[in-house]
Amino acid sequence: MVTIVAPLGERKPLLSGLWRYSRGAGISALIALLCFLSLYPMIMLLYGSLHSTPPGIPGVFNLDGYLAIATTENLIVLANTVGISLVKTGLALVLAVLLAWIVARTDTPGRGILEVLITLPFFIPPILTATAWAMLGNAQVGTINLAWRWLTGGDGTLVDVYSYGGVIWHMMQYSTPFIFLFVVDAFRAMDPSLEESSRMSGATRWQTFWRITLALMLPVTTSAFLLSFIRGVESFESAVFFGTPVGIEVITTTIYHSITQRAQPDYQSATALSFAALALMFLLVLLQNRLLRGRSFTTVTGKGYSPNITRLGRLRWVTFALCIAFFMVSVALPIGQLLLSSFFKFFGFYQADMLTLDHYRNVWENSGFWRAFRNTLLLGFAGATATMALGGIVAYVTTRTRWRGRRLIDVLAWLPWMMPGMVLGIGFLWGFAILPHAIPIYGTLWALLLAYIALGTPVAVRVTSAAYQQIATDIEECSRVHGAGWWQTLGRILIALAWPAFAVGWVLIFFGIMRELSASILLYAPGTEVLSVVMLKLWVGGKPEEVSVIGLVMLILVLVFRWVQLRFIKKRISTL
Amino acid sequence: MLRRDVLGVLAMAPAIVAPAMAQGDDWAKVVEAGKKEGKLVIYTASIGSVFHKAVIKSFEQKYGITVEMLEARASEVRERVRVEQAAGRFLGDIHHNGSTTTWLMMRDGNFQPHGVVPNVKNIVPPYEADEIRIPCEVISYGLMVNRNLVKPGDEPKSWKDILDPRWTGKILSDDYRALGGGAVFFVVMHNTFGKEFLEKLATQKPVFSRDLQNSERRVARGEYPLYLPFSLQNYNNLKGLPVTPIVPAEGRPYVRFDLTVLKNAPHPNAARLFMNHYLEPDSQLVFANAGYNPVVGGVVEKTIPEIRSLLASKALGTTVPERQDAMLALAKEIFK
Repeated sequence: MVTIVAPLGERKPLLSGLWRYSRGAGISALIALLCFLSLYPMIMLLYGSLHSTPPGIPGVFNLDGYLAIATTENLIVLANTVGISLVKTGLALVLAVLLAWIVARTDTPGRGILEVLITLPFFIPPILTATAWAMLGNAQVGTINLAWRWLTGGDGTLVDVYSYGGVIWHMMQYSTPFIFLFVVDAFRAMDPSLEESSRMSGATRWQTFWRITLALMLPVTTSAFLLSFIRGVESFESAVFFGTPVGIEVITTTIYHSITQRAQPDYQSATALSFAALALMFLLVLLQNRLLRGRSFTTVTGKGYSPNITRLGRLRWVTFALCIAFFMVSVALPIGQLLLSSFFKFFGFYQADMLTLDHYRNVWENSGFWRAFRNTLLLGFAGATATMALGGIVAYVTTRTRWRGRRLIDVLAWLPWMMPGMVLGIGFLWGFAILPHAIPIYGTLWALLLAYIALGTPVAVRVTSAAYQQIATDIEECSRVHGAGWWQTLGRILIALAWPAFAVGWVLIFFGIMRELSASILLYAPGTEVLSVVMLKLWVGGKPEEVSVIGLVMLILVLVFRWVQLRFIKKRISTL
Repeated sequence: MLRRDVLGVLAMAPAIVAPAMAQGDDWAKVVEAGKKEGKLVIYTASIGSVFHKAVIKSFEQKYGITVEMLEARASEVRERVRVEQAAGRFLGDIHHNGSTTTWLMMRDGNFQPHGVVPNVKNIVPPYEADEIRIPCEVISYGLMVNRNLVKPGDEPKSWKDILDPRWTGKILSDDYRALGGGAVFFVVMHNTFGKEFLEKLATQKPVFSRDLQNSERRVARGEYPLYLPFSLQNYNNLKGLPVTPIVPAEGRPYVRFDLTVLKNAPHPNAARLFMNHYLEPDSQLVFANAGYNPVVGGVVEKTIPEIRSLLASKALGTTVPERQDAMLALAKEIFK
């Protein structure tokens, strides 16, 4: 008997009417949900950019906000922002791809541990690494410069973090592991037969890496590049710590100034500037779509494969040294500084009479910390799970179907990523506060949860869609031929095959929630504090050492999560 | 125009404040009603202060009223209050913020008159309460020097000493072009010494940073020898480090913090009780020992010796909300 399977989304026989109806209802529900999560706060912000006063205050519609940003000063700020983000993303991408290839596809020793260690910087609050680097790399008394002077006997300066280089370096600490996390599982999920064919056809190892491996990784690398570039444009901490003191301003510091540094917060200019940045980033997204359109990146097929690794011979010690060097510079130095400081009375003062465990005791006895810890874990688990579920569905619709409305869904899921967090937080505040009082969102954990889902969805979609694009449609068709339904196929084929990517996305979102401050500070209420708010309170209250302790607790969580995750992935891959 | 708005708010006061005034001015009835309300929600721009928590704890113990706090930065507190009130959500009772933000919010009609609070009579000049605002503590600014880098006797003794060429490129400072201590310092120096002083200060090339806590640590570690303006209450967090706070001879710039009752506060009587408790000498002493200037008389004399002389120094001046934007623009012009 021969069964002819219609293309996905174009079923005709028997239940087609019901299927089409339920599919339409599902798409509508998905669009409605995304509209609420991302379009609704954006509309509030658009209103703010076009109105002389924020919502709730009488005013007039005008374009003053947009006219106010059209200045030479802002053009310089824009050029600074784009330039810094471009350089840091480019450098981070090269480094991350290299590290991911080493970890996933070579016989470099200790790859399992290296994989965990390389990703650590991503999970540390930026405020802590900035403090650590301010101590390590300041021109006058930075540890690195003191060591350099001691070694050379001169009085020169080797590094100065208060510079363009410092801003870019600090941003790279986050971008490199972020891109690495994206890329490493794609490398792992790649069928090596394509590379083997290349080698058998006479290509060198380098030609194969360049023409086959990297080319097949185009969806995931461009997605990671875009996400990281956009996040770079929206980055705040690096610029405010290392740029502002020496006159380097970027879009987010300008927005911050217009909201918090004036007698009268200028929301109109801030939101107008954000929308101008959003337009720029939207063009980049279109560019990526154009770049990938009509090309196939399928590397996971129904034929079965066993991921193999490239034998590097003696070169494996060079790659090992490279990973260790990255770990030493980006992890050991700043984290060592944090760990050391947590045992001294003051950050950076390492005298025997200042040794103490008070910071650990204070955090342990801080009831506010434990309440926030519980809230954050709850929001982290619920938020990351819900976001990945939503992201998985959105990615499926946008990458593996031709259903109507899929482009709209893709755009809606992207929107929150393109708006700086501190501005989007205001959009959520305005949006949730004016909801009817009968809808219990404002002032509850729901407000935070919904904001986190909206903020995390773009990452969830990019992670899963990049993984879906690597999976051949014939596996799905095979599932259907054997009688599996849509949900069964989604769960038992697509998610099962893409689940390492799901796991990575879940961890990224979970720790994104743990770190998120911009929306949290505007949406939390007494009783619904989260860790980032507690850390801000401690920081502003002059307790950076206690913030370090919390940062270290978060690091331990990361290590546990990554260990469990990698064990599961290993088990899974070995059974594929 | 602004003054008219403020007067308008005050004129509407009797109607707005009806729930609190219904208790009359009989303080015993206010106490009883406050206890019955049982809860108080404070919106504060004082983030992570252990001293405020100590005073709140003593209030809870004294009256059995549970206090919940929402802490955020000044502009964030203001926006939350504005949005909540515009949406008809009246969740907070007490607002605690710097005098500039409080003035702006008063202009926007975010508060209701507090009614009679007995301890207001203890407030001493130059601080003064009105129907809406009650001064509650004062942040005073001086200088901070690193003792390892500045020999005894070489410290600036007058604000004018920071113009000495030996400090060129060696001053770490809060930014004068943004709201905060730097802007307060700028306004007071402008009022005291004129624009010329600030233009000369610009030639000293001060390095700006808005990360106040970290800036103080940077000076303590020896990255810079001099920091200004130094909030005296931060000295508590730096005890044990090689730094010395100094109030120059002319006196200390300061900025006042105010307590107000938010419009349609759900617990107006508990709010009045709290305001009164905040002005008790014991509460004010907690703040004074922490380095804040108290607003009531007879407290500075009881403070710990190491802080007493700093607090007893002359109040040089403060910022004026009406001129804030003009002064920020001037700061941008001078410190490009």
